[in-house]
Amino acid sequence: MVNYGIAILLLPLMAFVVQIFIGKRLPRNGDWVSVSAVALTLCLSLAMFGVMLVKYDPEFSVDETWTWFDLGSLQVQIGILIDNVTVVMLLVVSLVSTLVHVYSTAYMEGDLRYSRYFAFLSLFTFSMNGIVLANNLLGIYIFWELVGLSSYLLIGHWFEKDSASDAAKKAFLVNRVGDIGMFIGIMLFFTATGSFLFRDVFAGVESGLLSTEILTVAGLCLFAGAIGKSAQFPLHVWLPDAMEGPTPVSALIHAATMVAAGVYLSFRLFPIFTPTALTVIAYIGGFTAIFAAIIAVTQNDIKKVLAYSTVSQLGYMILAVGVGAYTYGLFHLVTHAAFKAGLFLCSGSVIHAMHYAYHELHDHESDPQDMRNMGGMRDKMKTTFLTMLICTVALSGVPFTSGFLSKDAILAGTLSFTLHHPEHFLLVLFGFGAALLTAFYMFRLIFMTFYGEPVRREVYDNIHESPSAMTAPLVTLATLSFFLFFTLPYFNPFSDHGWFTVLIDSRDSVVPGHLNLTAHEIAEGMHHAHTPAMLLSILIAFSGIGLAVFMYLQKRISADHIAAKLSLPYKLSLNKFFVDETYQRYLINPSLILARMIAFFDWEIYDKYIVNGFGKVTEWFSRVVGIRWDYDILDQQIVDGVGRTTGFFSARLRLIQTGKVQNYLVWVLAGVIMIYVFQAI
Amino acid sequence: MGNIQSISYFLPELMVIATVVVALIADLVYSDRNSYKVGYLVIAGLVVASFTLWLSLPEETTPIFLNTIVVDPFSRIFKFVFLLATFIVVLMSMNSDELKGVRTGEYYTLMAAMVLGMSLMASSVDLIMVYLSIEIVSIISFILAGYLRAQVRSNEAALKYVIYGAFSSGLMLYGLSLLYGLTGTTKLFQLSGSISSLGPGSNLTLTVSTILMLAGFGYKVAIVPFHFWTPDVYEGAPTPVTAYLSVAPKAAGFALLIRFFNTLFGTGQPLNSPVWQAMEGVPWQDILMVLAAVTMTVGNLVAIQQKNIKRLLAYSSIAHAGYILMGVPVLSQEGVYAIVFYIIVYLFMQLGAFSLAIVVSNRYGTEIIEEYSGIGWKSPYLGFFMAVFMFSLTGIPPTAGFIGKMYLFAALINGGSQFYWLAIIGVLNSVISLYYYMRVVKVMYFQGGREKDLYVPGGMSAAIVLAMAIPSIYFGVRWSFLADWVNSSLKFFIAGF
Repeated sequence: MVNYGIAILLLPLMAFVVQIFIGKRLPRNGDWVSVSAVALTLCLSLAMFGVMLVKYDPEFSVDETWTWFDLGSLQVQIGILIDNVTVVMLLVVSLVSTLVHVYSTAYMEGDLRYSRYFAFLSLFTFSMNGIVLANNLLGIYIFWELVGLSSYLLIGHWFEKDSASDAAKKAFLVNRVGDIGMFIGIMLFFTATGSFLFRDVFAGVESGLLSTEILTVAGLCLFAGAIGKSAQFPLHVWLPDAMEGPTPVSALIHAATMVAAGVYLSFRLFPIFTPTALTVIAYIGGFTAIFAAIIAVTQNDIKKVLAYSTVSQLGYMILAVGVGAYTYGLFHLVTHAAFKAGLFLCSGSVIHAMHYAYHELHDHESDPQDMRNMGGMRDKMKTTFLTMLICTVALSGVPFTSGFLSKDAILAGTLSFTLHHPEHFLLVLFGFGAALLTAFYMFRLIFMTFYGEPVRREVYDNIHESPSAMTAPLVTLATLSFFLFFTLPYFNPFSDHGWFTVLIDSRDSVVPGHLNLTAHEIAEGMHHAHTPAMLLSILIAFSGIGLAVFMYLQKRISADHIAAKLSLPYKLSLNKFFVDETYQRYLINPSLILARMIAFFDWEIYDKYIVNGFGKVTEWFSRVVGIRWDYDILDQQIVDGVGRTTGFFSARLRLIQTGKVQNYLVWVLAGVIMIYVFQAI
Repeated sequence: MGNIQSISYFLPELMVIATVVVALIADLVYSDRNSYKVGYLVIAGLVVASFTLWLSLPEETTPIFLNTIVVDPFSRIFKFVFLLATFIVVLMSMNSDELKGVRTGEYYTLMAAMVLGMSLMASSVDLIMVYLSIEIVSIISFILAGYLRAQVRSNEAALKYVIYGAFSSGLMLYGLSLLYGLTGTTKLFQLSGSISSLGPGSNLTLTVSTILMLAGFGYKVAIVPFHFWTPDVYEGAPTPVTAYLSVAPKAAGFALLIRFFNTLFGTGQPLNSPVWQAMEGVPWQDILMVLAAVTMTVGNLVAIQQKNIKRLLAYSSIAHAGYILMGVPVLSQEGVYAIVFYIIVYLFMQLGAFSLAIVVSNRYGTEIIEEYSGIGWKSPYLGFFMAVFMFSLTGIPPTAGFIGKMYLFAALINGGSQFYWLAIIGVLNSVISLYYYMRVVKVMYFQGGREKDLYVPGGMSAAIVLAMAIPSIYFGVRWSFLADWVNSSLKFFIAGF
């Protein structure tokens, strides 16, 4: 198993190295290198998955550790952990990655930096697998930064566009904020327990090496990394901007895998979160879920809607961790990866078609991503429409889909948590509210894009279905949105009971003092809350869909009318609650002013006078020794002096060489004497 | 041990001797055009010799050939260094345009013979053997430096080298004879005993003798003020020879220096004891400290002014001799450890920089640093690895050069407060060296235009560069393998006989 893991880790890395160095010179710009490397990882992941299903052992776990370096008292160990969670995550990552690689061969065709794009895509796959495979915090941190880097490179793939390079920078910087917190958290645990390994850290926490207060702070610091990477409020601002990257990138990195890394981290570290930390986590997740859903309702850019929807769904997963139903957070991560990647790839297909149509008409002004320019496309793009509809139904949480199972479980978990702690009733409102809005805005997207009359007839006439390299991944992902793949060997569409819930076992908290509910108590509570939560969520999903039908399909209620009536909430939502503007005014501008002041001091005063002064003195000294002494005196006067004498006695060639070396020899003798004199002193 | 029994301990050297003989005969057979094929024979011979050395017992310590040389782990690790350096330089020479059109069979034969001389330097414990081994290495170096007979500057370099070398060995011989006159023996271990029984009346003679011998060793490793031959010879000699001279004989010189001073002027403690006592009366520790400081300072300051890459690397090698010399007066296992470690690391980065200079010279026909402009963009392969070697030579993490320097400074700091000033000067010198090393990088990346066609060096040249670059980086990240090996090799033959 470990060898499989290492192979999965290294294959995309090899593809990256090949692509970045010689990709341009290979036939087809080398896309087959990346595609086949990633496809091989998919085969390996499938094999591991098969082994896992055959074993069918919730306790299965392989942990291999190596010493990375040894500084005497400090030993840093890294290693690979493979358990059922790893296997599932590897499958998700390599499956989505493979589909996105295939899809990209068509989507990115003719791109200026085609081979570089695939190189970075492979680099990302490598880093993401690294996060999943690491058995220690340090390894996670390293790969965490690597996925950040590849995300940065891919968002900025079209860096000629200012908006793209700005978005890349923003993503990187905002993530740094979270990562610093994460680093502090890691070091807090390392200082206390002396190890980066999960098992040592858990054991250290269990034996009470950290006081409850420190443990809360350290846990929240670690969680800050997840806030950044999984785009939770208040660090969510980078994700919508990241849509400037190519759409397949959005599907892979900013919908299915990288943004889920935060959820994965919280999942892995769940046992060391204190009740206080978990409450904070639950509120951040719940608030993000509803907050992003409200914004998504008013967006007109097809990718922005999906971006905010992703933020909102990630909020759900975090909420699940916070309320203790964290295996269901992971469950939602897996199901969401399939249908959200599918949605993004579908939107890519639509944008591709729109872009092509505008290109044919020589229209470079209109925005191919604006849903107000679309409409009626279902006849022209049958496959895209059908697959997108299936994914949308799944995201809305309609029965018979995978999304229904996972979302329902999270809502049941939240309901049960609130029944135990009635003071946290807001969490339930957040959860169900976001579910209502999700169904609404997703169907709004479907109706605006695929139904109604086309806005411009000549554009509509130029719309074509995308090539099969693009539609095949869509069909695959849409198929995976049905419940069956997650409930096997059972066939009950209303119960999440299946291989996933059996194999992914929840662990009890290791925080000393038994302040948390045990896994058993949580499961018990969820079991009781299951039926009401399910009925409620079905009702809510259908009301959301119904509202969308009324407003955007039958147009019985005018959207503009409501917007005018609710002008304040509408404006807040449309402008994303002015979070970016607030950051700009209160954080970024003051920092820039401070930076300029410091830069002035550093450059104008410190650098110009002190550093350069030091340099000048050294240079002067070097000139004295090197030029005046070694060159002017020794070389020019003594050596070349001899050389000049040669001018007079050019016939006596013999003398030149002798003369020159004699001088050297004089120096040797002088050196011996100088040393003697020195030692005598 | 008698001559016949000794032979079984002398197998690696015998393999080298056999290589020399076979190469000599083969060179007679080959025509001018095929003469370079001797290089392959030499490579094969070196591989066999390395293998034999590897098979020899690592822990063996015994004097052989009537107690003139010893076999011990310390000489063993140095023999590996010589074999490796020679191996690389032979490969480099076969890819150098400078040596095209010249009959090179003899050249490779001489290189193999030099390995023998250096191995003897690293293992001799008898004054006569010390002198002989130094002479073997020197005389071969003279011929190699002047190998391009048709070129005036190569010729001139060789002639200067001969005269300078002869003079220095004369001084050293005088020092050795004074020592023999005082004690009546040429064996190092007996010398050590006899010296401690001499009265304070002989201190003056002993000091003069030490300084004179230092002139001989100093010339071999290019310590200021015995360095004057270095820039001229390094510039004039064919570049592969320059690379060779700046690494292998220098390492041999240090091996000899360490063994000589520690055996002669220590109080006879085994090498693996933590701190040795210096002998009273002769202030050789102070002398070496000052020489180290002066050597690196002069080397670095003058290097700043150089415009030719070979001259730059020549002065930089003087500076590195100064760094390495810092470890000698500390008189601790840590110091010797740091020296050996640094020499191995230095081998990779110095030979790497030279092999790159050869590739650049083959391709762009220049040795002038200013004309390196834009190479970072014209040929990313060359630019990147040159930057790696420059970083490593400066000692910037995560390169091997950093780890090497770290151990040297650590040895000084742990040696006691009397070494602090030397450590400070060493650090200041590293800063100065940054200036001229980074200038090369700057010229490559920030000056000059781009070209449409990227140049990627082919086959063997690229492989040599890569083979030097990988350890230069790898040992900066994971050096425990190297550290263990060096640590286990710090054993002299020590008992008297």
